[in-house]
Amino acid sequence: MSEDQDKYIAEVVEKALRGDMDAINNIEDRVTRSKAKAALIKAKRLSKTAAAEAAPAEETAQTDTTPTEKSLNQKVAEALAKKFSGSIDSEDVNEYIQLNGKNWFEIAQYLKDNPDLLFDSLQCITGFDFGEGEALEVRYNLHSMTHYHAIEIRIKTDRNDPKVPSVEQVWRIGDWFERETYDMYGIVFEGHHNMTRILCPEDWEGWPLRKDYETQETYHGIIVPKVKEGWE
Amino acid sequence: MTVDNLINWFPFGAEWPVITFVTAVLICAIPVFLFIAVYALVAIYGELKISSFMQDKVGPMGQGVGLHAGKWGLLQPVADALKLILKEDIIPESADKKLFILAPFVVFVGAFITFAALPFSQEIIVADMNIGVFYILAVSSLGVIGIILAGWSSNNKWSLYGAMRSAAQIISYEIPAGLSIIPIVMLTGTLSMQGIIVSQQGIIWGFLPNWIIFNNPFTFIAFFIFFISGVAECNRTPFDIPEAESELVAGAFTEYSGMRYAFFFLSEYANMFVVSGVAVAAFLGGWNSPIPGFMDSPSWGLFWFIGKSMSLIFLMIWFRWTFPRLRVDQLMSVCWKVLLPISFVNIFGVGIWNLLVG
Amino acid sequence: MGVVHGDLMTLNIGPQHPSTHGVLRLKVKTDGEIVSEVEPYIGYLHRCFEKHCENVTYDQVIPYTDRCDYIASMNNNFGYAVAVEELMKIKVPERVEYIRVIVAELNRIASHLLALGTYGLDVGAFTPFLYMFRDRERILDIFEALCGARLLYNYIWVGGVSHDFPNEFVETVYSFLDYFEPKIKEYNELLTYNKIFIERTADVGVMPPEVAISYGVSGPNLRGSGVKWDIRKNETYSIYEKFDFDIPVGSGIMGTVGDCWDRYYVRMQEMVQSAKIVRQALKTIPAGNVHQALPKKIRPPKGFIYKRTESPRGDLAYYIVSDGSPIPFRLKMRSPAFTALSVLGEISQGWMMSDVIAILGSLDIVLGEIDR
Repeated sequence: MSEDQDKYIAEVVEKALRGDMDAINNIEDRVTRSKAKAALIKAKRLSKTAAAEAAPAEETAQTDTTPTEKSLNQKVAEALAKKFSGSIDSEDVNEYIQLNGKNWFEIAQYLKDNPDLLFDSLQCITGFDFGEGEALEVRYNLHSMTHYHAIEIRIKTDRNDPKVPSVEQVWRIGDWFERETYDMYGIVFEGHHNMTRILCPEDWEGWPLRKDYETQETYHGIIVPKVKEGWE
Repeated sequence: MTVDNLINWFPFGAEWPVITFVTAVLICAIPVFLFIAVYALVAIYGELKISSFMQDKVGPMGQGVGLHAGKWGLLQPVADALKLILKEDIIPESADKKLFILAPFVVFVGAFITFAALPFSQEIIVADMNIGVFYILAVSSLGVIGIILAGWSSNNKWSLYGAMRSAAQIISYEIPAGLSIIPIVMLTGTLSMQGIIVSQQGIIWGFLPNWIIFNNPFTFIAFFIFFISGVAECNRTPFDIPEAESELVAGAFTEYSGMRYAFFFLSEYANMFVVSGVAVAAFLGGWNSPIPGFMDSPSWGLFWFIGKSMSLIFLMIWFRWTFPRLRVDQLMSVCWKVLLPISFVNIFGVGIWNLLVG
Repeated sequence: MGVVHGDLMTLNIGPQHPSTHGVLRLKVKTDGEIVSEVEPYIGYLHRCFEKHCENVTYDQVIPYTDRCDYIASMNNNFGYAVAVEELMKIKVPERVEYIRVIVAELNRIASHLLALGTYGLDVGAFTPFLYMFRDRERILDIFEALCGARLLYNYIWVGGVSHDFPNEFVETVYSFLDYFEPKIKEYNELLTYNKIFIERTADVGVMPPEVAISYGVSGPNLRGSGVKWDIRKNETYSIYEKFDFDIPVGSGIMGTVGDCWDRYYVRMQEMVQSAKIVRQALKTIPAGNVHQALPKKIRPPKGFIYKRTESPRGDLAYYIVSDGSPIPFRLKMRSPAFTALSVLGEISQGWMMSDVIAILGSLDIVLGEIDR
């Protein structure tokens, strides 16, 4: 338990070094709070320049804690591997966690409800196309409003029949973000209550943001202008 | 000159009573119509300029007579009227044509016939009825029918919304208005407009004119109740939900264009004048001058009446550009839960005051 | 409420409407005056900004970002420039940082003035709208003196800014701030504490903090619900940590926490705080070159970045993927108004028609940003 506590204290000290004292002041347990304050003073004394040069927060979830600590990504990857075996695709979890779409809905629930992680805010869903003839991917940026940490999750899917479980019931903003990804890439989110286009008209043909997209010739009789290929 | 005077003046009045009556009425109606037209132009100009100054703008301006809007933009309302007359008359295809055409007339008639009982001066009143106030209150509700006709016949959900809201509002606010006139009737003992004004001559307490508003604190409150109800009856902000621009575009009148729209516009301003006129006559002394003996003759009476009405209209314009608008249910609750109880209290109060003091 | 229920009437607040802040279509199902469902339809202003960005170079993207949120263009440019600079790991000169903060905060004031003015217009108050626009004009004049454009600036570039301050710019901004700060009192007297305005907006459209976070709402909308989250303080970027300013949070003064009045009041207070930041920045701005760090050809190394900044509407983020060429491989703009509009259906159930307009106005959306 004290290892967790140390990790927690290290996290809030990091936050305080960046200027946000609320994390420390909001700790309910008096003992932990005073330990955190002491650690903060020590950290400030030891590395003033290092604190000043702390980069602005990055959502790429790169770790900047001391080398002996496990990074957030590693923690999450281990927890997921234990609970939902076989869902992590790649071993390299430095910048993002690659999942393979199995049990994604349950994993999302777990990420949101687990008290250490508490990713209660889905920041952004981005669709991604690796190139013509290659796979499609969906990238989720998650963030926690209570622990102030962030993570990126990627799920690859096949180009010809792209299907990913929907997380609309977990984070309500998933509704519109997933409709937008469907509109632009054609990725169908299973379990979504209203999988229709949101930005393009309902009867538009094609998936605009794919790399091999050709605009249709006419739309209801109006000629569709072509996009210029490049500016160089 | 009242209709009665004209009839007596006609040499052949006894022989052809019907034709004489009709001619007399027509001769009296035309000046009233002209007055409404001219007054509307002045009121529109006033609203544009006053609202502009309140909003840190300059409003319609011109560089000289004859150049686009005249100096100080005096020709702007004329230009507006001309534009509305010359516009294309569009009737939507799915609208109910007969009702669509009928609606503006009903609204205008409702506003116009109340002018018959307005006392412009000691001698200038179209029909000096001995039930003047009662007649005005009764007849001014005719406009509601016109608004409902307009909303329904436009065949448009937004117009229907606006018409329903407007009808509910006008009918509800008739009641506090009527109840606020009752203390007046109790004090003066007569329903006739001229009678009410005549009873307000003289001075009380040495310097205050003997207007009913200063008579007792309950009539003081009754004036404000009446004025607020009047503003609501004219569909002016803060009660302009029926024409709420930001929500319903133009409410019941969305589909109207050109001259028909001009009629609605005209009747709104006519209504404003009627409400101000009745408030002036009942509470503020009518055509009496505030300092008796000074500018007291019958022709000055016209000046005082119109002057006092115009200041109340200025107040209405001021309200429009200062306050946000109330929501429909808040509007109704103000009427039924606030104004109505206070009007009842006023009636009791005036009666008891009269018994004890007056 | 009542026991008699007829059919629900479907009403269309169409793309052309005086108070939908742009081309937005709302399909409203009402039972008389009470609204039971609101469904927004967007996409009328979709110009496929993200596809364009895959065909032009990194610095040619900047005019495109202007046009997304056209009311707060400086903040859009700022977000993009900061993201690309972090991807390339370059550092800009001090003076550039100060200039960026000054123009971003001035643009925040201008954007809030527009939001509050049009909100007054939606509720029926015509005069505060004109007063706020009069003051916004002065800010636009300042920007015009700075970079030549009133609304779409193309000013903050990757690695610097396009022009340095002209002569007497600092005095002009000081005189504007001296003129502006007493105006807040005038607005408060005219609109904020007006009884009718409070009746229209207090307790209306309450957004609980859990709903707000789940729907991804950010910025003044989230702060109006009581959550103290501002990216300038919590995940600070550029030089915001050098300035001393507060984060106003809604606290249910006039009604419940998270109602329309709270969101309105948070924006009002934020204008005061922005003026404070500009004053501090002007006092300590160093001299220097504004073009020094501008690379000739912008070729970020392979990688990706997700960078969040605080625009007047909320949490504006850019997700940029680079494959080493001068043209972005994938650029996604996460706009705050997109999430703000998605919560409209949830918080306007059970209110009346006029309240839907009031709630929509309090969310402060810009269709250019939603549709991109």
